[in-house]
Amino acid sequence: MIGLLPVLVLLPLAAAAALALLRPTDAQTARWSALVVSLSTLAISLYATYELSQARPLRTTDPVAPRYELRQTWMTVPRLGDAPDVRLEFYLGLDGVSALLISLTAILTTTAILLSWNRIREGRTAYFACILALESGLIGSFCAFDLLLFYVCFEFTLIPIFFLIGIWGGQERRRAAGRFVLFTLCGSLATLGGILALGAAAAERWNLATPFSIPDVAAAVAIDPLPFALQVGLMLAIGLGFAVKIPLVPFHTWQPLTYVEAPTAVTVLLSGTVLKMGAYGLFRICMPLLPDAVESIGVPIVATLSVIGIVYGALCALSQSDMKRLVAYSSLSHLGFVTLGLFALNVEGTTGGVLQMINHGLSTGAIFLFVGMIEQRYGTRDLGRFGGLATRLPALAVCMIFVCFASAGLPMLNGFVGEYLSLSGMFARNPAYAIVGASGVVLGAWYLLTLIQRTFFGPVREPQTEGPPPPDLRLREFAAAFPLMALCLAIGLYPKPLTDLIQPDVDRVVRLYDFNPVTPQVASAETAEESDDR
Amino acid sequence: MNEFVERLVGSVELALPEVALIVIACVYFLIAPFLLDTSRDGRSGEGPSYLKHLWATATLAAIAVAGSLWLRMEPTAEALPGPFRIDGLSWYVRGLSLASAAILTLVAWARVPAGKAAEFYACLLFICAGTSLVAVANDLVMLFLALELVSLPTYVLLYLSRHDAAGQEATLKYFLLSVFSAAVASFGLSYLYGTTGTTDLVAMKTALALGANGPMPATLAIGIAAIVAGLAFRLAAAPFHFYAPDVFQGTSTVGAATLSFIPKAVGIVALARIIGTPEALATGGWSLTAVAAPMLAALAVLSMCVGNLLALVQTDLRRLLAYSGIAHGGYMLVGLVAMNPTEPGVGLGSALFYLASYGAMTVGAFAVLAMLRVRGTTDVDAPANAPVDDRVNTIDDLAGLGRSQPFAAALLAIALFSMIGLPPTAGFLGKLNLFVAAWSGGWRWLAIAMLVNAGIAAYYYLRVLGSMYLRPTANVDRRSVEWPALAGGTLCAAATIGLFAAPDWLWQALRATGNDL
Repeated sequence: MIGLLPVLVLLPLAAAAALALLRPTDAQTARWSALVVSLSTLAISLYATYELSQARPLRTTDPVAPRYELRQTWMTVPRLGDAPDVRLEFYLGLDGVSALLISLTAILTTTAILLSWNRIREGRTAYFACILALESGLIGSFCAFDLLLFYVCFEFTLIPIFFLIGIWGGQERRRAAGRFVLFTLCGSLATLGGILALGAAAAERWNLATPFSIPDVAAAVAIDPLPFALQVGLMLAIGLGFAVKIPLVPFHTWQPLTYVEAPTAVTVLLSGTVLKMGAYGLFRICMPLLPDAVESIGVPIVATLSVIGIVYGALCALSQSDMKRLVAYSSLSHLGFVTLGLFALNVEGTTGGVLQMINHGLSTGAIFLFVGMIEQRYGTRDLGRFGGLATRLPALAVCMIFVCFASAGLPMLNGFVGEYLSLSGMFARNPAYAIVGASGVVLGAWYLLTLIQRTFFGPVREPQTEGPPPPDLRLREFAAAFPLMALCLAIGLYPKPLTDLIQPDVDRVVRLYDFNPVTPQVASAETAEESDDR
Repeated sequence: MNEFVERLVGSVELALPEVALIVIACVYFLIAPFLLDTSRDGRSGEGPSYLKHLWATATLAAIAVAGSLWLRMEPTAEALPGPFRIDGLSWYVRGLSLASAAILTLVAWARVPAGKAAEFYACLLFICAGTSLVAVANDLVMLFLALELVSLPTYVLLYLSRHDAAGQEATLKYFLLSVFSAAVASFGLSYLYGTTGTTDLVAMKTALALGANGPMPATLAIGIAAIVAGLAFRLAAAPFHFYAPDVFQGTSTVGAATLSFIPKAVGIVALARIIGTPEALATGGWSLTAVAAPMLAALAVLSMCVGNLLALVQTDLRRLLAYSGIAHGGYMLVGLVAMNPTEPGVGLGSALFYLASYGAMTVGAFAVLAMLRVRGTTDVDAPANAPVDDRVNTIDDLAGLGRSQPFAAALLAIALFSMIGLPPTAGFLGKLNLFVAAWSGGWRWLAIAMLVNAGIAAYYYLRVLGSMYLRPTANVDRRSVEWPALAGGTLCAAATIGLFAAPDWLWQALRATGNDL
């Protein structure tokens, strides 16, 4: 089991390197091997998730505790004075939350590869190499339990995304690629500064040999928190990079352009998984390591920005005439529920937030998928030029309507579970945010139904196309979309396996924010030693 | 004087690799004129084309000989009085200079005219020997000689590899400023000698440590200021950077590759040797480190800002890399600033680690530039009879490289990502180490200035990457593949990735150099 973790990270990377060495003409080999690699990664990740759900729960009370872990020294960084050296580690681990996100990444990567099967015309080997490299970076960041390793993977994803958008994107691809990389790079440099300062503070204060190990620092924080002012500074610095990535509202300006210009498969990956790195970073780093700042400063800031994002994104989505842009704003709006739920800081809300990360990945990814299929058939995304497509493309219409319902939060589908949990969790913390946020559900239903109504119903209007009339859903397209839709339904009907999986991890984190905090029985010195020994 | 000569002779065995390199280089100068066959092709000074393969292979062999001598020498911890010392620092710099000379040979292989190959490679060997001697020197006089052993052949090397009008101008500019800076540095060294009464570095530092009673004499500060100014020229640190863009643009690509790395290495190592205070002497006394730190900090922040901001507006690749080199020199100075008296190895180690990472990325980038040819001149202002300049000059010339030469483009991309400081490259770890050293050494504003600069710098490297991959038109000739330069670039890229994946062995060795200052 433990041996599978590095395989999960390195298999796509090795395959990407191998693909990059192929001749550009070997397109057939490239896409088949990419598919095989992504399917094997998917199989491994599902197996790992299954194993995890069967494993005995850990009995530790540490706020962050991976249930499987693999630690390897990467380099030792000196500390001034007589104190021992600081170890940076390749520290891979797996807990419920990361296992789910890894599985989501593997599913969406397979989807993206199937979706780009025929659509990418030139440089296919390089394209599939980039997709696999991106998968590797994403999985790496989701199973990194070392702050720096997380940052390394977080940053590494920029490289394949830059090429994916810049080479295979739409008209404005160069501007979109440059803007995306510069925005997120500037944000994440602040994160890097914050992470390093946090590591320095951890080394100084608790004398940790591994001050970048998230579980070790979290255990120390639970007993002896950092000074409040330092926590606030660190949270603002670290949070900035995540806020740009998620994106929270004032930092979202890169998003519409990027989503619209990126090839559809990449948009699916961006909205489904890449942005989750930001939310995951908030959950994995800010919440357990900086509890006081998160509770007093983080909640008002993040919750306010989230509800602004929910409403603003929904209003923008309402006024779009470009389908892809509409879904981009809808993604912005729905991500608000993720951060709103996470920062409710209670079991209900945070579970909902994590669940909503998965749901958002599935349903928004699926909507982008179908929008991409329509665009491929007609060569346009202009809403005004469509109408009554349900009679022309019945199967596609049914699927699209289904995923729009899932995204809009219809009961019995996955969006409902996540949004309900998020909002009710937030209601317990601060009803005002929850009430404003709930308006987003209504607005969401409004614009998604408008999208469906204008595209699929009414008199038939379709843009002129050359050649035979566009075919209905193809088998390959259905194969790409079916797992997402099946999961939407399954999670909506019976979310318990998923909540069971993430509950223990969420429990341990939100215990920090409990109204009756568990007072640690052991003296701080002993625990510091313990965490050194681990 | 006689005693000095005796000691010099007695300790030659400590400098065996350098001696070997210098002897071989002298043999080159002796043999080369006889191999030129002036009668066959009619033009004097041109030789048969096999000569360039011969000399390049011989140079690699010479470097291999020196390398085997290097590997057989164990660094010894204690510093004996004498002109040379073999410690961790000199062991590392020796390895670095040999490796860089080997890669520069590969880069130059196809580009150097056959008739001038022998002299060119002889100069390269001198430079290599001089670079190691800077680290091996344990004496101010020896140090100055070593610095000049790098400078003098550099002028010749710049001229030999390109001697049209632009090349001459570049060479002359470098020569004049370099001579001036050498004068300033030697002025500073004389003050150091005047104040402490010894040229031996170990004895000098012991004398300084004993001088605790009484205020530090102003002559020492003046001396240090002059030395820092003189050596900052080598580092191309702002405000001593003005020559760099012009020279990089004017000289040959291999000349620019040499200039981008060797003088920086020399400057960093010489500065560390002179101003570094060994751990054992850290308590009390007059500390040159403390005097130099504010000056170096100012130079560092100025270089980073000037380099990065001016690089933003460049369109010529060599000027861009020159400005980027200025900024990277600033990053390395941050490491020297952070040489904390209690544990100088942290700051020094991070600067030296960055030096290796920087060497791999910049020489790698120049190696790729050296092997690319554009399809015909784009310079409309050139006079009609001017030789067609088929080098890749501007960022636009690289357009479509990702398609026309994917492998070369990938090598250049790795170098550029390392310059940005993105993982998984050595540039990321190098900057990380510098940041940690500065932060924990109490220079937090400097550490933050570094991060801000890393953000600014990303923009212009992305422009180059964007041109290579995101633009359709292909200007670069597909057929221009030069295997040696490609091999050199591949080695640099492998080092860039390798130093990221397994940095610990080097890092541990470098940290220990704090004891060697």
